[in-house]
Amino acid sequence: MKYQLTVNGTRHAVEVDDPTMPLLWVIRDFIGLTGTKFGCGLGLCGACTVHLDGTAVRSCSVPVSAVAGKPITTIEGLSPDGQHPLQKAWEEGDVPQCGYCQSGQLMQAASLLREKPAPTDAEIDEAMSGNLCRCGTYQRIRRAIRKAST
Amino acid sequence: MKRREFLRDSALVGGLTLCFRAMGAQIAVAKPGDGLATEMGDFLRITPTGDVLFLVVKHEMGQGLATAGAQMLCEELGADWSRVKLEFPLADMARWENDRNGGHGTGGSCSITYQYDLLRKAGATARQMLVAAAALQWNVPVDSCAAENHGVTHAASNRRLSFGELATAAARLPVPADVKLKDTKEQQLIGKPVHTKLIPDIVTGRVKYGLDTQIPGMLYALIARCPVYKGKLKRFDATRARKTRGVHKIFATTPIAGPQHTPWMPHDIRDGVAVVANSFWTARKARDLLEIEWDEGPNAGLSTADFEIIAQEHALHRTDPTGFIGDENAVADLSKVRKTLRASYVYPHQLHSCMEPLNCTAFAQPDECEIWCGSQVPNLISNSVRDLLKLPAEKIKVHLMPSGGGFGRRAYPDMAVEAAFISRELGNVPVKMMWTREDDQTCNLVHLFQHMEYQAALDAQGKLYAWYEKELKTYNWSQPTIDPSMPAMAYDIPNIRYDLEDIIQYELAHSSAWRGVVVHGRALSECFIDEIAAELKQDPLAFRLSLLKPGRDVYIDPNLTLSSDRMRRVLLLAADKANWAQKLEPGRARGICLSPYGNTCVACIAEITVKEGKLKINRVTVAVDCGRLVNPSSAANQIEGGIVWGLTGLLYGGAPIENGRLVHANFHQNKLMRMNECPQIDVHFVGGDAERPWGIGEVSTPVGAPAVLNAIFAATGKRLRKLPIEGAKLAG
Repeated sequence: MKYQLTVNGTRHAVEVDDPTMPLLWVIRDFIGLTGTKFGCGLGLCGACTVHLDGTAVRSCSVPVSAVAGKPITTIEGLSPDGQHPLQKAWEEGDVPQCGYCQSGQLMQAASLLREKPAPTDAEIDEAMSGNLCRCGTYQRIRRAIRKAST
Repeated sequence: MKRREFLRDSALVGGLTLCFRAMGAQIAVAKPGDGLATEMGDFLRITPTGDVLFLVVKHEMGQGLATAGAQMLCEELGADWSRVKLEFPLADMARWENDRNGGHGTGGSCSITYQYDLLRKAGATARQMLVAAAALQWNVPVDSCAAENHGVTHAASNRRLSFGELATAAARLPVPADVKLKDTKEQQLIGKPVHTKLIPDIVTGRVKYGLDTQIPGMLYALIARCPVYKGKLKRFDATRARKTRGVHKIFATTPIAGPQHTPWMPHDIRDGVAVVANSFWTARKARDLLEIEWDEGPNAGLSTADFEIIAQEHALHRTDPTGFIGDENAVADLSKVRKTLRASYVYPHQLHSCMEPLNCTAFAQPDECEIWCGSQVPNLISNSVRDLLKLPAEKIKVHLMPSGGGFGRRAYPDMAVEAAFISRELGNVPVKMMWTREDDQTCNLVHLFQHMEYQAALDAQGKLYAWYEKELKTYNWSQPTIDPSMPAMAYDIPNIRYDLEDIIQYELAHSSAWRGVVVHGRALSECFIDEIAAELKQDPLAFRLSLLKPGRDVYIDPNLTLSSDRMRRVLLLAADKANWAQKLEPGRARGICLSPYGNTCVACIAEITVKEGKLKINRVTVAVDCGRLVNPSSAANQIEGGIVWGLTGLLYGGAPIENGRLVHANFHQNKLMRMNECPQIDVHFVGGDAERPWGIGEVSTPVGAPAVLNAIFAATGKRLRKLPIEGAKLAG
């Protein structure tokens, strides 16, 4: 089956054997963008978060057949130069440890700030609690989102 | 360091390559065209354009050692920090020998400690050679030149040459026999909270972890592993699975399965069936269609409850003491003892749950094998794959990569053995072998189990007269403990006895090292100390201080003494920052844990609320004495993360086994602490002008759980003695 996907503004024609293949694997294994991470496969950890039509989704739980025609943004396309206010706040606050979950965290946070440019702490917690970080950088993520939101 | 040894070779990169022989006994001078494979220790390259490349030979798994290592080296080099880059080289087991200093092996919170002298000397030596090269070119005395800000200057004539311009000439000069290191007070980069070098690549998705490896022609493999530890594959039918479009090959992995008696790092590879396909997704779908019959072996039908009964039985008899102070039978001396307290604590198995699931990409060819994998001990990968493929060691090329969390699990080489085996069986095709999250949590090694049995004897004056501690555990690094050793406790108790017993033969999942390792169980002694304080109606802080005599050093093992002064200092600092003396309203309370980790001292105070039986951890205050801080921001991040690690184990961990199977398959069952549950964590360091750095990565992981358990007692009067506490009744 052939699909036309628009990822970070670029059109990709992909051919997969199975229309239920999650978007995550199409992005990683077929298009070759590996910034989007596999963590659980069930939408429980948020490592695979991308923007579909401007909204955060768990790409491990969205079949490729459901995304054709909708613009997809991955961490590689969050900003042209790595200077999104969240990316800068992540560096200034020394947020990451291993970094593996952080592309998902950033995509989730970017979606939050688009909806609520100045979220309260409770709103940050609510929006971000679907994203796991085994290194335990939550306090720094929260602080960086606050910083990027003001 | 007895001798230093540097090797120069400018042929390799057209710049300066300095090699440092940590324990070397012989002089080696490079000849033009010499390879470097037989030499050891190489941490620095300067390219002709002047970039300084720091070679990350240890495993960067989030603990920040890549950046901290570069800081240590560049402090002495005089480099412009903005022109320092990290490079992850191919592993070289001979050059970076796995000794205490410069080797690849990464664990035990000791990389910074062990490399502090090594990397500073490597930087200072390079600096001295660059200065000498400039002096020669200008024909001026060496001591009239100075290295600073990425170049060498001659102030008298106002001349300057950059490191890039000098590198090739410097590499031709003799290696200085001795170098002078800066005094701690002169350090500018060490002690500075610079941003981790990997962050720009992390926040843009550019960092390549093992799982991101892409090799032309690569296939994808999954393994259906036996769900029961020690079980075996009986037979399988792949008829339906093979019909899945995109499947290449399905075969048993039995030849590599079974116990792996790797020195120091024993582990287990479960028997299974490999499914190889053109994508991960195809392999996963096909794997679901396999029909497999397992011989579930000796653990069939057994559950955690069965194992815990065995542990409890073993806890009740005494073994020969591993170590003791005073009278080894003091707790039973009725002529002295007025009252005896007794308690059992359990620290259960845990799952590593690295966010990057285990994986390895391998390309086995007839005459060599390439491996892409984030590994804490690439030496074990090299050895295991060498043995599997019957190739010379130098033909196993291991690409060092950062990982999405190691936590001890990536110290074991099993994923590389699986991947190399599959690649060979495919007829030498590159393959990315992946574990799903369910594989990771149901067929994996687990954290060791500890049962801690305590007794305390109080004398007629109400003094703590004797302490008895028995530890039962399921892992021993292949080294049954025989040397006398004592629990790492600074308290001044006249009679202490410590018994240790391995119960490895009964475990229902193979145990392994998990961030913090045995200290998790041993730190539960801080709950028992609290029980004694409560019995004596003493304040937990005052009671601890009464047991910490100023100026007392406790002998722990041949390499370690524990200073009660340092323990007092962190305890008092934490108490001050957490406002210990301030009264709290009913339902809110604080709890203490004081625990050393290696030579680092940690005190933790947790403040919690229990309302209508529901626990909320409000704030955790941690005071740490880890000596000299190399990167305060990175170090604080480690302490914060360690608290989250330990509290996750307290609240949710446990890795329960039912019917022989680990049942926490994914994150809905093996819950991890999330942002909305994460308390405020305040980190305070002491030891400002200390000369040397001590460990950081694991030190705070064991202290959060006992502190919270003690706070729960203070708030509710309930003593919880077994983790995890999810579902425990806290009300009424």
